[in-house]
Amino acid sequence: MNATGRRRLRLTCRDCAAAAAFASMASSGQLPIWSLALFGGGLLLALLDRRILQAHGGLTAILLVVSAMGLGALLASHALDEVVAAGAFAGLVAVQRMLSQPTPAVDGQVHLTSLLMIAGGAALSGDIWFAVWLVLFAGLGCFSLGLGVLEQAAPEGADLPLRPLVRQLSAGSALAVVGAVVFFIAIPRLSWNVASRRGGGSLFGAVSGISDSVRLDGPGTIKRNPRMVARVQLEPDPGTETLDAYWVAHTFDTFDGSEWVGATVQPRPPLWEVHLGRYVQPLVYQQIELLPAYGARSLVGLDSPVLLANAMMHGPSGRSGRVALEEMPGQEVRFVEPGASYTYHAYSTAPDVARRTPEPTERSAYLTLPESLDPRVPALARQIAGDATDPLEAARRLQQYLRANYQYTLELTSVADPLADFLFQRRAGHCEHFATAMVVMLRALGHPARVAGGFYGGERVGTQYVLRAADAHAWSQVLVTGRGFISVDATPEEGRSGQPAAFLAFLTEQLERLEDLWRRSVVDYSMLDQVELARSLVRPPASADSAATQGWSPDLKALAASAAVALATYSILRRRRAARGPRVSREVGDAARFLDAIERRLRAARVRFRDGEQLEELAVRLSGSRHPLGAALDQATRRYLEARFGGRPLPPNERAVLLAALDRASAS
Amino acid sequence: MTAVAAVTSPLELWRRLRRWFRPPRTLKTTQVGRTYLALTLGVGFGAFNTDNNLLYLLLGLMLSLIILSGVLSERVLRDLQVRRVGADGAHAGEPFAFRWAISRRRGTAFALTLSEDSAELSGQGMVACLEPGAELTVRGDLTAARRGPHRLTGVRVTTIFPFGLFAKTRVFDLEGMLLVYPRRGYACEDPASAEGGPAGDAGDPRKRDGSGDLLGLRELQPLEDARRIHWKKSAAAGKLLRVEREREERRTYLLRLDDGLPLELLDRHCEELATVSGRLLLDGHEVGLQTHASRLRPGAGPGQLRRILRALAWAGYQEDRA
Repeated sequence: MNATGRRRLRLTCRDCAAAAAFASMASSGQLPIWSLALFGGGLLLALLDRRILQAHGGLTAILLVVSAMGLGALLASHALDEVVAAGAFAGLVAVQRMLSQPTPAVDGQVHLTSLLMIAGGAALSGDIWFAVWLVLFAGLGCFSLGLGVLEQAAPEGADLPLRPLVRQLSAGSALAVVGAVVFFIAIPRLSWNVASRRGGGSLFGAVSGISDSVRLDGPGTIKRNPRMVARVQLEPDPGTETLDAYWVAHTFDTFDGSEWVGATVQPRPPLWEVHLGRYVQPLVYQQIELLPAYGARSLVGLDSPVLLANAMMHGPSGRSGRVALEEMPGQEVRFVEPGASYTYHAYSTAPDVARRTPEPTERSAYLTLPESLDPRVPALARQIAGDATDPLEAARRLQQYLRANYQYTLELTSVADPLADFLFQRRAGHCEHFATAMVVMLRALGHPARVAGGFYGGERVGTQYVLRAADAHAWSQVLVTGRGFISVDATPEEGRSGQPAAFLAFLTEQLERLEDLWRRSVVDYSMLDQVELARSLVRPPASADSAATQGWSPDLKALAASAAVALATYSILRRRRAARGPRVSREVGDAARFLDAIERRLRAARVRFRDGEQLEELAVRLSGSRHPLGAALDQATRRYLEARFGGRPLPPNERAVLLAALDRASAS
Repeated sequence: MTAVAAVTSPLELWRRLRRWFRPPRTLKTTQVGRTYLALTLGVGFGAFNTDNNLLYLLLGLMLSLIILSGVLSERVLRDLQVRRVGADGAHAGEPFAFRWAISRRRGTAFALTLSEDSAELSGQGMVACLEPGAELTVRGDLTAARRGPHRLTGVRVTTIFPFGLFAKTRVFDLEGMLLVYPRRGYACEDPASAEGGPAGDAGDPRKRDGSGDLLGLRELQPLEDARRIHWKKSAAAGKLLRVEREREERRTYLLRLDDGLPLELLDRHCEELATVSGRLLLDGHEVGLQTHASRLRPGAGPGQLRRILRALAWAGYQEDRA
């Protein structure tokens, strides 16, 4: 490749490595927009080889100082996180250097700034994309550095073959990644942990669909979204692959004909833990992590939660801290502060165990009907419920009717009265229609009821259960005196769980498995894992008793395996040596030893070589001057040359004869 | 195959001792490498401080790149064979071309820098890519600080491959000697008077107007000898032209070197004699050199200049020659 091509390739690799480093920060979603725009524009110009700052280095350096002061001001006013500000500034410096005159020093500065950016990415982001950016950065950076080193040694304008370099650098990059993994596993996690940050934002934002209201004419696309929004560890562990369970997040009591909204009562003061009912065994303990994709502040608990506590909030900038909870009327509990992700503990009891009964003032809220309610709805409710006076019995009859006569669909159009449209026109709808119809008809019959929102299901991944955005669900709850609210779900079974497109679900599942592996193996890797790994590598010691009774006996399998490994290693080494060819053959070695012996005798006889004189020249000289050693040395020299270069081995007896002749000549 | 040299001096003993204790490879950090190491420490500090596993991962990558640098640079420095081709003519204080021949049996080597393992010889030659099986002649511009014999003990082969973070050096033990001629410069002293040839102003070598071959014609200047006018050419040109003839008087000079002077003065003397002899030989004279110990017979031509320069280079270093 010629010099121009090499330069272009080196700069492209360098700029793309910087882009990968910047992307590791940008994928956290925390960098300011102007930073993204500036870096993107600069990268584009650099890739087009438009180094527009070549002639304005001083001016842009001043601009960098000004921007540093601006970022400092934002930091001082707490408008920007420290790591975000540092990352944004590193991005600006990288762009300034990328658009400057490319020299070896500038290349080095771009690479070092990129290293700072990737470190910023490590602090800001916790998802698997970081691994992708890191590998890209390592590969491209290695190529760029290697090409730069070659460039420094190459003569001006010389053509050089790049294939061997690419081969070596490719293998080198792969080895670097493997080495990084090995170091990662082996470096002891003796952390001081005084500035702990947790990976924050994600590239895709929040998708859970949990909000403060439910509109009936809204689309049901959430049911097709397979993103993971929560991860739950249950104790006792049911051990099943799926959980057919309701996870309550919200309840809604006010319906205006097209939209459900939550309580209008003032919230209570914040608490560190919220008790929602009586502790009746059996209790199910849940350790819940709401992932950044959740995107709401409502706590989720297995139906029915009785205690929510120990909440930790992980902010978008990665800052973690304890967070208070506020109890909202209608069994809803919210985090006081907004965060990217949360972890907390919950205890739940069986749904039909007695719970707190609402106050009479609250009961009236669960009987309110919308003013514009179609009169056919109460009539239909009375027709279905018949003579049932028990709220649970009435609810069951309504549930059977709705499931039998209505279809589940996610394809809806916007209408003025969505409930009437569902019940009398279209006779198809999604979970919110079924839940609304059930609650409104129960209220029309005089039974307090409400709509509950949250999730239905739970899929086992590893030792945990995960909830996906597609598991978002709405159902109804009827108030039964002495037992509290009981969940009654009118939605047909096929509509309760998520319905993501098969291919998308497959892709997402693979990605999430990968993410799960990444999170367990990398993000949450700890000293405990290191100890476990070390234990797994060490054979368990035999107990004292067994050692005393059995004595030492060699493990034949282990011995055989060791012997096989040793044999294989030996044969590989031997083959390699054979392929290389002997460094010094026996014949050459014999000849060299013979030469040493001759030289020793010459020294003993005080015969010196002249500057640069070879053995054969010395032999000629001595013979010419009729030196006593001349004849013997001439013969020995000829034989040495034959043995060394002529391929005629020198047997020990012949060697002895020649040396004896030299000794005799020397003595005479 | 060389003659076995006896250990005669403490200096030789010291050289051998140094060679014996010299590590097989030496490693130096480049400027980028120093910053990289500082950043690695910083990332490590951050990882331990925050317990962020991604920083540990980055730290692992940075450490593995350091190790990889060592492995790949070692691959580059293995299986090399180096020999000296030599220099054409080396003068002290100015760059001269020095050549090495380098080859490799297996694998391609990159970014090699060759230099002599001597503090008195600066400069280097570079090889971007050395393919296996082929011998490559590398030219380096070296500069010697002083004249005289320079004992060459080894050739340093250095590489900053693959990432430019570290410069790893391997020294090939290769005995040799480089004789550096005196510095070329201006001579303050005039040459001594000639031992043979015309004397006086007529024999001044700096003046032309001799009686040798025709050198050229030029216009007659005022007060110049009218006997030198070339009448035929003057008539043709319409103006008075005079003949210039080469000086044919080759004179013989014997320059004297006082090699008992202190080394600094001796160096200066050698430089002047080298310059004067060069100028005299260029003018076509015969020049010889007389020292306390030896005498170089007067002679002419580039061969004589080389002999004089060699003699001047050895002046003061006779014991090394012995």
